[in-house]
Amino acid sequence: MVLITVRLPRGATLDMALRELRLKKEEVDVAYGVVAIDPDHGLYGLRVSAMAAHRLTATPEAMDGPWADPKIEPMGPPRKDR
Amino acid sequence: MRVLVQLRPAPDVVAAVADPAVTATAADVVNGLPGVLLDPTFTPVAVPRPLPARTGGDPLSLNQPLIFSMAPRDASVLVRGEIADDELSTRLALLPGRAGVVGVYADPVIQTSLTCGGDGPVGDWRDVRRLLAVDRLHAEGYDGSGVALAVTDTGVNERHVAAALGSGFVLDRERSWSPDGVVGRPGEFDVDHGTMCAFDALLAAPKASVIDIPVLLSRRPGGSALDGLLSDAMAAFAHLRTVLDAQPAESRALVVTNSWGSFSPDWDFPPGHPGNYSDNPAHPFNLIVGSLAAAGADILFAAGNCGRECPDGRCAYPDRPITGANSHPAVLSVAGVDVTGERVGYSSQGPGRLADRKPDLAAYTHFAGSGAFGPGEPDSGTSAACPVAAGVVAAIRSRVPSTILSPSDLRTLLMRSADDRGVLGYDYDYGYGVVNVPGIVEALRARAGETRTAEGRPWLAV
Repeated sequence: MVLITVRLPRGATLDMALRELRLKKEEVDVAYGVVAIDPDHGLYGLRVSAMAAHRLTATPEAMDGPWADPKIEPMGPPRKDR
Repeated sequence: MRVLVQLRPAPDVVAAVADPAVTATAADVVNGLPGVLLDPTFTPVAVPRPLPARTGGDPLSLNQPLIFSMAPRDASVLVRGEIADDELSTRLALLPGRAGVVGVYADPVIQTSLTCGGDGPVGDWRDVRRLLAVDRLHAEGYDGSGVALAVTDTGVNERHVAAALGSGFVLDRERSWSPDGVVGRPGEFDVDHGTMCAFDALLAAPKASVIDIPVLLSRRPGGSALDGLLSDAMAAFAHLRTVLDAQPAESRALVVTNSWGSFSPDWDFPPGHPGNYSDNPAHPFNLIVGSLAAAGADILFAAGNCGRECPDGRCAYPDRPITGANSHPAVLSVAGVDVTGERVGYSSQGPGRLADRKPDLAAYTHFAGSGAFGPGEPDSGTSAACPVAAGVVAAIRSRVPSTILSPSDLRTLLMRSADDRGVLGYDYDYGYGVVNVPGIVEALRARAGETRTAEGRPWLAV
């Protein structure tokens, strides 16, 4: 799954995103859902399969990404090993 | 430039300097040196003369067996002084040979070795409370009451925190949130890093309501550069936006402490790639951070543990290790100092990747505190410094909601009132300095005198 962003109306739901982007449920991380990044400006994030992301890049106005989704870790205690 | 001047005065003067029963002064040794401002507070020191141990040895060589003579005819005396930087080369050329001057040497600033990972605790949480002037904070009504304090970490163990603090606290189960798949209930997670963060934040703000966000417990399948967990932090911040929006405007106060980050460029697209996180303000996580701050949340991030002196072994950025949201212009990026006020050697130095002037300020770490990592183990890393600073912010918010003083204005007040360390003014080790509670309280008072609410009342008195 890869992270993408899309523009949707305020209060958008996963079903709305699926319709707008013409995605099937199995192509989306349903548990992750649609995350409001900047609801005032209609910016949302979701995680989709790499195939779906590739297909969506053919219509760049529909989405932005894929975005890096790096591993994050606690900043402590400081370790000497890797 | 500060210098040490080696002199060879008369033998009786040398004998007096070497005599522990006599306290000599620079004026006893030399009647002034041209261009040198002698330090009257520095007691002159007798220096033995190295002599060849064997008859016929080279009198100038130190690479042979030596004896060291403190006999008055052999020994010399050191005094301390200062030469103006713009006269340095002239004075250094002219001084030797005059008024018994043997040599002039640099007197560089020396430092104790910095605290590093693996070192024992330096001080304890009571020292931190004292340094944060917590009694004064609370006496002024800054105790975290009514403030939502989100700890985005490995989850909080309420029982352990309460036992370590010696008092209960409010764990806000209703507004807590977990990523999908995380097992466990708010306040009941294993004692770990998040428990330390909650304890450290409550030192200054014991009446804050802790919102437990165990985002670092999320485990999503994958393994490529695109499968990770920052997306879970993004979902957590979206949840916190709903928390913030639900608060009444007149008491809006949400503080978010983040003691985590991304250690390696291997998990990211390279800088310049449109999907990059570390250097890219357009990355959606960086956007949501900016959006939440603009809506009124105070967001703090640990600067990181990649300081040059003793970096964490996980640090993989070759330079500028304060990356992504940890260097966001709309957050307070927190460096670490021990309770002596010295920067800990692992605290990451700026400049930051999203904003140049990172870290913003420093707070206390590496002290005996929560005991979350076992008896005798310190609360360490900029991981501890960040919630310590977040507690101060939460304490302030109990009287000053973000609708009265924006997060940006509060950051400015914190930075302006910080106790300057390192070089004069801003530096990449300490930022603007160490968080200074009396300074911020005075700054808030001054600002309250200037600012009134819409109803015309001084805002701090509402």
